[in-house]
Amino acid sequence: MELVKKILRGDEGSAARLISMIEEGLDEGYKAVSLLFPHTGKARIIGVTGAPGAGKSTIVDKLAVSYGRQGGKVGIIAVDPTSAKGSGAFLGDRVRMRNAEKVEGIFIRSMAHRGFPGGIAKATLGAAYVLDGLGKEVILVESVGAGQTEIQISMICDSVITVFTSDYGDEIQLMKAGLIEIGDIVVINKADRPGAIEAAKDIEFSLMSSKDQPWQIPVIAMEARKGKGVEDLMAVLELHHKHIKNDAQGNSKKREKMKHLVLALFKEDLWSSTLKKIQGKTAFEEVLQKAQNGTIDPYKAVQMVMDLALTKK
Amino acid sequence: MENKKTVKVLIAKPGLDGHDRGAKVVAQALKEAGMEVVYSGLHRTIDQIVNIAVQEDVDVIGLSIMTGAHIPITQKLFQKIKQKGIVDKMVFVGGVIPSKDVPTLKELGVAGVFPGGTPLAETIQFLQSISKKG
Amino acid sequence: MAVARYIKDEKDQILDVILESGIHVKPLYSPKDLEAIGFSYEKDVADPGEYPYTRGIHALGYRSRAWTTRQYTGFGTPEETNERFKLMISHGQTGLNVAFDLPTQMGYDSDDPMSEGEIGRVGMAVDTLKDFEIAFKDIRLDKIGSGLTINAVASIMLAMYQAVAEKYGYDPKVISATPQNDILKEMIGRGAWIFPVEPAVKLIGDTIEYSMTVLPRTNPVSVCGYHIRESGATPAQEIACAILIANAYIDNVLARGYDVDAFVGRFSFNLNVFGNMWEQVAKFRAARKLWARNLKEKYNVKKPQNLFLRGLFGGGGYGLTKAQPENNIMRGAYYALVAALSGAQTTALCSYDEAFTIPTPHSALLSLRTLQLLMDEMGLRDTVDPLAGSYFIETITKEMEQKIEEEMDKIEKFGGIIKGVSEGYIQRLVARQAFEVEKGLESGELQKVGVNIYKEGESMEVELHEYNWESAEKQIESLRGVKRERSEKDVARSLKELESAARDGKNVMPSLVECCKAYASVGEMAGIFRQIFGEFNEPSLF
Repeated sequence: MELVKKILRGDEGSAARLISMIEEGLDEGYKAVSLLFPHTGKARIIGVTGAPGAGKSTIVDKLAVSYGRQGGKVGIIAVDPTSAKGSGAFLGDRVRMRNAEKVEGIFIRSMAHRGFPGGIAKATLGAAYVLDGLGKEVILVESVGAGQTEIQISMICDSVITVFTSDYGDEIQLMKAGLIEIGDIVVINKADRPGAIEAAKDIEFSLMSSKDQPWQIPVIAMEARKGKGVEDLMAVLELHHKHIKNDAQGNSKKREKMKHLVLALFKEDLWSSTLKKIQGKTAFEEVLQKAQNGTIDPYKAVQMVMDLALTKK
Repeated sequence: MENKKTVKVLIAKPGLDGHDRGAKVVAQALKEAGMEVVYSGLHRTIDQIVNIAVQEDVDVIGLSIMTGAHIPITQKLFQKIKQKGIVDKMVFVGGVIPSKDVPTLKELGVAGVFPGGTPLAETIQFLQSISKKG
Repeated sequence: MAVARYIKDEKDQILDVILESGIHVKPLYSPKDLEAIGFSYEKDVADPGEYPYTRGIHALGYRSRAWTTRQYTGFGTPEETNERFKLMISHGQTGLNVAFDLPTQMGYDSDDPMSEGEIGRVGMAVDTLKDFEIAFKDIRLDKIGSGLTINAVASIMLAMYQAVAEKYGYDPKVISATPQNDILKEMIGRGAWIFPVEPAVKLIGDTIEYSMTVLPRTNPVSVCGYHIRESGATPAQEIACAILIANAYIDNVLARGYDVDAFVGRFSFNLNVFGNMWEQVAKFRAARKLWARNLKEKYNVKKPQNLFLRGLFGGGGYGLTKAQPENNIMRGAYYALVAALSGAQTTALCSYDEAFTIPTPHSALLSLRTLQLLMDEMGLRDTVDPLAGSYFIETITKEMEQKIEEEMDKIEKFGGIIKGVSEGYIQRLVARQAFEVEKGLESGELQKVGVNIYKEGESMEVELHEYNWESAEKQIESLRGVKRERSEKDVARSLKELESAARDGKNVMPSLVECCKAYASVGEMAGIFRQIFGEFNEPSLF
């Protein structure tokens, strides 16, 4: 396919177009990904997740500059939430990446999550393949950051950074549970703020249970806006990179992640294709209405919908 | 659902002017109307704006210009668009635009001109009509 | 733009009026309302010239002195600006208000590639001291004050004003400049920022500190609620932001070990007048009171005259419309009336064609006459604070005070104005408010004559000044001329001093004055700051 050839030759416009095709779920797009796939696997994918306002974009910006300075070719995928009502989205992370924009050969792509669960979009991994094919060596993925557990990002990334600040005390409690599952590195950003040290200690304490694991999650204090802590973060990322390359467990974890990812994508496709099949049909609307009127219970309604969905036609 | 393309728009502020009330209002309105909106931020050069448009693969580039420099800025934009081979992007312009300049802007390739005071619904409708073409 | 939400029944009877700041206006006010709010004349208003200054800062108001009129002037070349200055002075204008072009505001020289197409477009181009020498030629700088509408590089422009005054033989102690010099509002509303928040605020602290001893008649900061309002804020948000911004500048100077009474008296404010007229009057009265109380209670300011909210109440640009532009003349007159009824010390009006273009001499003069009519013909000088004691005005003044305090609390709860601006919290509040207004206009819930009601009528054609490529060339040529003639050795030395002052966190003002006198350019001076401070990282919108 011409498009794939162009991407492999480094054509930005073609890469951008293919990402859009994957976002739109076009068959042609998926065909192109299959053609591109054998040429990928060289890039490191680093995820950055955390609560809104934690400073994810600023950290991505600084990492991009640091990798760029080392001569690395950098790509960024910044995911923002699609509005709960409707399909609109504000893709605003890019504004925070004005330094990264100046890095030679950088490619930044914003993306709405379009209802996909887990902090990324369905097309995010596809976009990462495209950037890999385009020759990017480090791909930084910024998650939606809606505050809840963003498990999916860990499925597509080699390393995941979870960013906290002391501002979001309650959310730390909520997110701590999922930390070990998702994150490989924890950053306490805005470390000059009151409560930051306590937050760091608190998190370190809750990470004690991972002491016997081959990778112990490090906690890094940063003031990303001022560039403080960026070097520490880079060093830890390097350690983690070596760890997953050499560690047998790292490899099996990767296989496990891939399985989960396929299942997650399958779930998404099954849901959207099924919904497409029954949406607007009178029988479906009738079931919904009955449930709304209270004439049937919701379990019964689901049974009826399943019957509708599974009938061939 | 899948076959209706989501319109992706870049709202850009070229040049040194920082009056962004209008650009931000339009950005919010387009988002509410179901579009995906990338906002460039302030003080952008045309080179930067075109780069963003390429990487984001937006369908539409909207320029907000209040200083009166709309003609030279738009000229430069189209030069760059041709150079980069992204002539399929649609361009619209808003801000302080005298109506006598509208034909000149259209000649340059601008698809729609929406000076300050244009009802939001008009801009939205215009952009939605291109989603049907796409 | 629009002023209040009106809830009406089918017979067009008004059931409720909701002002922008969220105050509900009742159909009738009586002594009972004052009782309900616990109104006390002494505590809540007091006589004019008495704390808390709700009724005004001078005992006799306009009887003792009419307001200063300061129409925004200046465009193109320094020569054109000088001509316009003289014209406005000959018509009775009592202060100058200098507009700068965008490259100057953004710290770029006219020969910088970033300046292309913008030189002299929205104001005067200033590259070196030579431009100020031309612009202020034959202007009595000891008699007439100058507003310098510039922020990110206000420190440079203030230094240049001192340099030009000294060049023309004036003692810096007698000149009076009012640089706008409010960078936080630029980050919220007008977008002419360069440096990050901390160094940008530090530069403002430098100008305040320096003015205390060297430029005692200068008002180093003019805090602009004005532009925050233009960007979409409600009147309550406008004042809340203005007070918190002023506090941020005070804190910067206090941290240097000064007594607050030594400098805070030179602070001034630039506030907006468009909107529902009662809400505006209440806003200005509440603002005076809150500012005085803020200084007295939070900062322990001792001298009564330092508690004054002095300021320019005027403009009203966002209230003007492109539809039926002559209506803007009437709007301007009402805005001026509001400013007068609110006790403005200084005023200026946006000219009726300002929604389209830089004002023509004709429209600028009309605005000036509008202001003069009120003072000299209509009786606004007769008595001080004539609206005081009105059940309605006193009630909503008190309500306005509460609304402003609520907005201040919201920002403080987020973490304060500096954090709010750095992280985009304020910008988001304001942008959302602007969008709400727009939606209100489209739905008809907000009314605007000529825009969504009484629409029959002509729209005026937008008329922009033809960009003068020739004068832009001339400006660049003149800069090159200065660069040929100046002593490069002096320039290099003064810039080097500036660099080390900036790097060491010293007050940069003395070095800036030396740079200006050596004919270093604005771009060279700002370039040093850019290199050392970096640039502001604009927060994302949502």
